[in-house]
Formats: sequence, C-alpha cells, structure tokens
Amino acid sequence: MATRAFLAVISSSPNRCFITPRMIKNQASAFSSSSSSSALQFQRHSRKPHRISRSFSSETNSSVLQPPDISSLAKTARISLTPAEIEEYEPKIRQVIDWFGQLQQVDVNSVEPAIRADMEGGNLREDAPETFENRDSIRASIPSFDEAYLKVPKVLNKE
Amino acid sequence: MCSFSIRKSPNSSFIFPKFAPLLVRHCLTLPSLVPILKPPRFRVVASLSGTSWVSQASKEKYGGWALIEDEAPLPHWKSKKKWRNVVITGVGSSLSSRPIVSAASSTIDAATVSPPQSQILSTRRSLLSGETTASEIAKSYLSRIRLTEPQLKCFLHISENVLKDAQEIDARIARGEELGPLAGVFIGVKDNICTEGMPSTAASRILEHYRPPFDATAVKKIKELGGIVVGKTNMDEFGMGSTTEASAFQVTANPWDLTRVPGGSSGGSAAAVAARQCMVSLGSDTGGSVRQPASFCGVVGLKPTYGRVSRFGLMAYASSLDVIGCFGSTVADAGMLLHAISGYDRFDSTSSKQDVPEFQSQFLSVDSFESKPLKGVKVGLIRETLEEGVDCGVRSATQEAASHLEALGCLVTEVSLPSFSLGLPAYYVIASSESSSNLSRYDGVRYGNQVMAEELNKLYECSRGEGFGGEVKMRILMGTYALSAGYYDAYYKRAQQVRTIIRKDFKAALDQNDILISPAAPSAAYKIGEKKDDPLAMYAGDIMTVNVNLAGLPAIVLPCGLVEGGPSGLPVGLQIIGAAFDEEKLLKVSHIFEQTLKVSPGKGGLEEGTLVVLPLDDLGGGRGTLGGRFSMSTSFVLVTA
Repeated sequence: MATRAFLAVISSSPNRCFITPRMIKNQASAFSSSSSSSALQFQRHSRKPHRISRSFSSETNSSVLQPPDISSLAKTARISLTPAEIEEYEPKIRQVIDWFGQLQQVDVNSVEPAIRADMEGGNLREDAPETFENRDSIRASIPSFDEAYLKVPKVLNKE
Repeated sequence: MCSFSIRKSPNSSFIFPKFAPLLVRHCLTLPSLVPILKPPRFRVVASLSGTSWVSQASKEKYGGWALIEDEAPLPHWKSKKKWRNVVITGVGSSLSSRPIVSAASSTIDAATVSPPQSQILSTRRSLLSGETTASEIAKSYLSRIRLTEPQLKCFLHISENVLKDAQEIDARIARGEELGPLAGVFIGVKDNICTEGMPSTAASRILEHYRPPFDATAVKKIKELGGIVVGKTNMDEFGMGSTTEASAFQVTANPWDLTRVPGGSSGGSAAAVAARQCMVSLGSDTGGSVRQPASFCGVVGLKPTYGRVSRFGLMAYASSLDVIGCFGSTVADAGMLLHAISGYDRFDSTSSKQDVPEFQSQFLSVDSFESKPLKGVKVGLIRETLEEGVDCGVRSATQEAASHLEALGCLVTEVSLPSFSLGLPAYYVIASSESSSNLSRYDGVRYGNQVMAEELNKLYECSRGEGFGGEVKMRILMGTYALSAGYYDAYYKRAQQVRTIIRKDFKAALDQNDILISPAAPSAAYKIGEKKDDPLAMYAGDIMTVNVNLAGLPAIVLPCGLVEGGPSGLPVGLQIIGAAFDEEKLLKVSHIFEQTLKVSPGKGGLEEGTLVVLPLDDLGGGRGTLGGRFSMSTSFVLVTA
C-alpha cells in the first residue's frame, strides 16, 4: 500500500490538522489525569516517580484532547476491523496512548531529535538500477498477475 | 538403590527402578507427556549429582535425576563402545543447555566443574579429526528436534536440506578442501529473516507460505561459511511481543518449564538453543527481543551495535532500532556467529564500514586466565535497574554477578541514568510509529495472503484485517495515531528528542566506565497467558532493554543465576552493555565471567555416575548422538526393566 496515499488521507482529515503548543500542554494534563492506573503499573517497574508523571491534573480540559478514534485510524491504516475488534482494541490503545502522554512533560527544549543511533554518513551506493536474477521466484509470490502486470480490482478513488 | 556403574560392571543385570515412571512424569512436567512405557525402546535418565546446572532444591525434589533419551535399542547400551550414543532431551532441568548456577552459591561448597565449551569449536575439532561426520551430527539434531518439538514448538519450519547440506560438508572434508569457520554448525534462523526458497513468514498469516526469492545478507554469509540452516524459529508476529505468544501459528514453551513463556520476540530461537535443537541461532532485537528471551531460557544472547550487521533481508519492524542478534550456549559461540554476519553491506545503507575485529582471540581457555583476569575494568551498575519493582531474586542474582566481577578484578560502582524510565514510552512511540509505516508494504498485492475484494482499497483493508494479528493491528493503529498530522511533534519527534537525551546519558556513563551492567528483565520467565491481555504490563517487562536500542549500543545477556520456579529453578540473565562498536570488550568480559562462574555441585539423591534406561515407544528412527561430544560430567549406570 502506498504510504503516500494514507498520508494524503491524514492531511485531509480536518480535525487533526493543527495543534498548537498550548493544546499539547492541555493534552498532557488530560493524559496524566486519566492515566493514573496505567502510570502506577508502569511505576512498579521503573521506580523513579519521574518529575514528568506528577502534578499536572489541575487544568484538565478533556474537550481539547481528541482521544484516538479507532475506526478512523483503522481506515487511515487500511485495516478492516470487526465491531468486536474495535471494542477489544479501543480501551487498550487508549490506555497505551495515555501512557505515551508522560513524554509531554519532558523538557526537550533545544534538544535535537535523533533519527537513529549514531550514524556515519556516506554509505549510500550509487543510485543505479540493477537486474535481479531470480525474477521467477518473485513472480511466484504474486497472488495475481498477468504477464508483466500485477492484477488488482478496480481502483475507486474516494478521496 | 538398584543402580550400578556401567563402566565398572557392564555385564551385570539391569534392574528397573521403582521410582522411574514417577520421575519421567516430573521431568516432563505435563502429565499428558508421560510416555507409555513398553519395550523395546528405552528412555535414559542420568544422574544430576555432580552436575551444577540444577538447583539443590530440585535435585532433592527429583532425587537428582535428569532425563535422557536414547533412540538406540538396549544392545547398544550393553556395549561400552556405544555408550555415548545418548541425547539429553529431558524437559525441564535436563534441557538446560549449559551449567547454570547461582553466583550466590559460589562461595559455599564451591567445586570445579568444567566451564561450558564452545559448540562451534568442538564441532570443528571433531569434524576435522574424523571423530564424527556432519551427517551424523545432522541426524542427531534432527532426531532431537523430532523428540522435543511436540512439547516445545520452537520451529515454524524445518529445512528439507539439512542432511543434504551436511553430506556436502562431509564430501568437502573427504576431498580435503578447506572448511569454512561455520562448517557443520547447525543454525536456527528467526522467521523474520529471509531465507531463499524457505518459508519466511515473521509468524504472520499475512505471509503464510511466503518463500523469499533471496537470502538475508546475514543468512548468505552463514551459508558461505559452511553453516547449515536447520529451520525457521517461532516468534511474536513481526517481532511485536515479549513472549512469543503473539505468533499466528503456535505458542513456544520454555524448555525450563513448559508452562512458561520463552520470552520474545525471538522466543523460538532462544528456546531452540536452550533445548539443543540447534547449536546457535539468529534472532532480531528491536527493544530486547534477543536479550530478554536469552535471559528467560538460560542462554547467551548478543545484540550488536546498530549498524554492525546488515539488516538486508530482515523484515523491518522499527528500522531505526532493529538489529540482527545471535544466540549461543556460550559467549564464544554467540561471538563467533556475530563475527560471521558482521560488516558493511551495500544493500543496507545503515550498515557500518567500521572494521570487524577478530573476536576469537578473546575466547581464551580458562587455564590461561590470570588470577585477576579483568583487573582494572571499570563496571557501572545501573542504579535505576535495581530499584523496587524488580524481582528480588533477579536483584540478588545481579548483585552477586557484580560481586563476581569484582572478584575478577573489576572496579564496580553504581551509575545513574536519569533518563532511564523515559526509554519505555519513547521506545513504544518510535517502534509503533515506524512499524505503521514499515508494515504498510503488506497489502496482499505483491506477496502474501490476498483477500479478493471488489475494489482496491477493500482488498488492502481485508487482506490486512485478516492477515495481521491483534497486537500488530494495535501497534499499527497506535503508530498511525502518533504520526498523524499535528500529533507528529507531540509524539514521534518528542520521542526522538528523548532518544537524544538517553544517548547522552549512556555516553556519559560509558565515558566513566568500560561497561555497564543490569538485569536483562525485571523477572524470570512467567506463565503462558499471564500478561497476554495487559499490554502495559507486557511492555513494562522491556524496561531493562529498550534504552540500549534507543542508544544503538551493543549488549550481551548471559546466565548468571537461578531463581525459584518451575521444576528446576528458572534462569536469570545478566545484561552487559558496551560502547558502540566495542563488542570486543563486551565479549572479553562476558567470556571470562562465564568461564569463571563458580559452581556448587550439591548432593543428588543417587550416587554420581548413575544412568537409568526406561523403555519408551514414542521415539522416531535414527540413532541419537551428539557426535561424541556428549559431555555431561557424570559417568553412567544402566538400569532397566
């Protein structure tokens, strides 16, 4: 599936296009207030009652925070879910995302993001096409094809 | 007791011990596994006395017996010459792959039991000396797999070519050709690592029956050096899990206790090495998936520096964290396997051009150690890993391990990593975000299972909906949420900033210390099903390991003790973390640690040198042998019906 396609869906979804820093702060508050039980579970294993997971419950405004809407996320991720699955996943995903909320209180001012561990640059090979010899084997894995083409059902672009 | 030494009086009559059927039941743990006892097959039980790999409590509980199975009929046993045709296959204590003792017991009742030996080196020796052939070893491993797989379920696929590959090695030996360093070494490969023409499914329905058209670079290198791929090992689907319960196909049992998980996600690879279904194996480690199962199964698990090993052919989960890692029953084996697969690969731009040093010089024999072989090595014990919430048995095993390092000459101090607890949420944000992007390739169009639909989007949705398991779907959805426009800065970017903080903390700690140590997991192996429905409880178990992936550092886990649980205790692993690309130091320290861990023999219920043969009817054909390398430190007595 094309990543580009689902990114397109995301950016056209109006309710999560813009979040101001202020809103994020409010989200954070909501996170910490609504996640006390999960925070506890986590604390069992990680001791340090972190500066982050305390004292942010005063100005909770849950109307600002959009909790994950499983159905629309599933649509974005192109995964069909049964109603029973939605019911099962929703509380679990919400619990984990609440727990993610503790990151909001970390002071990351002027900290550069690291896209991965230390990297030496310049290991890219020349961008030139190469022939892969074992083509028949690739073809053997394709569920449906016709000569040089992959066969798929009709493409209806709802977006 | 009705036993005698076969060596002393091989012609005496055999007597069936009254306790034997009971014993078999104990060792196999599950009542349904008790074999029907009838001739002419025989089950062999060896004395645990004199062995160090079982806790004193279990020795008392089981009268000091380990279970051994032999597929040879009794006449072989009557002949002294054939007595080595034995395979230890007992489930529970007897499956442990190497002597394990609590470092805690080292001061009391210490005795010298030979330290664990490299299987790669001893295989090479016995092949070159003609003591055995690769085909013989292959048959022995295959029969062992046949015997143990019904209970353990480590493998999703067994290669049809094992014997053929072994014969090829034998032919090379016969022709006097040079042998690769991994010649005749039987290797299990985690199912998310591509093997040409052999199923590679990442334990997911969406890739059921998929056979890749190419070998992963690591697999290609192993084959070039003579290694034989035994099969594909079970795992949590796409590596997402810590128990191997999230496999779409089967649940792997921990060889130490069949009711417990082997850890994960590389649970199949770890359990297979622990049960000696293969000599070494490949796993992958995104947040601890090699190290935590190594701890749970009592084997050595090595996670190299990010970039040390090519990821080409490793099915991507979280690309910025994924590494291929190695399992072995000794540090030397894990290190030699790592050496074989390391190095720059033009098919992976994140693989490093750093030189790969010859690790083998670090694996000196214990006889050549000085009195303080690690004199002056600075070791930092990570304070945050020993705070409450960590099982007290794990804590004390770690502290004892630190004392052992001190006894070897190390300078052990506590270090603090202030950002330690931030690693877990940062890790799960990064891993689920990257997985939601990486797993978008599984769309049912080019490979894998396709669910036909009337239009393309429906085809994607249904193929993915039916092909992915629950945990995978949830992580993709969480990742989709975290990467959503507007949320990206709040989650993914922030998690990457936290990664920078964690890297800095590790760097500071490693500037002051040569290595860092911590437990490998907050507890020993837990019960199957225990944490299945509580994602946060499961995620919390990764607290010891995820930071190392975020910092990209190399780390090794090796057995350091036992805690109570299961029929014979449960292993606990020590994690040793090194500076980037300094696997050499990591291997040196851990090899010396492993080889010098003192053992306490304890007293078994029977005299040392006891072996019992029980009739058994459920064994496959072929003769069990470990190529003459059967090295339990006991002699045997035969007792039979």
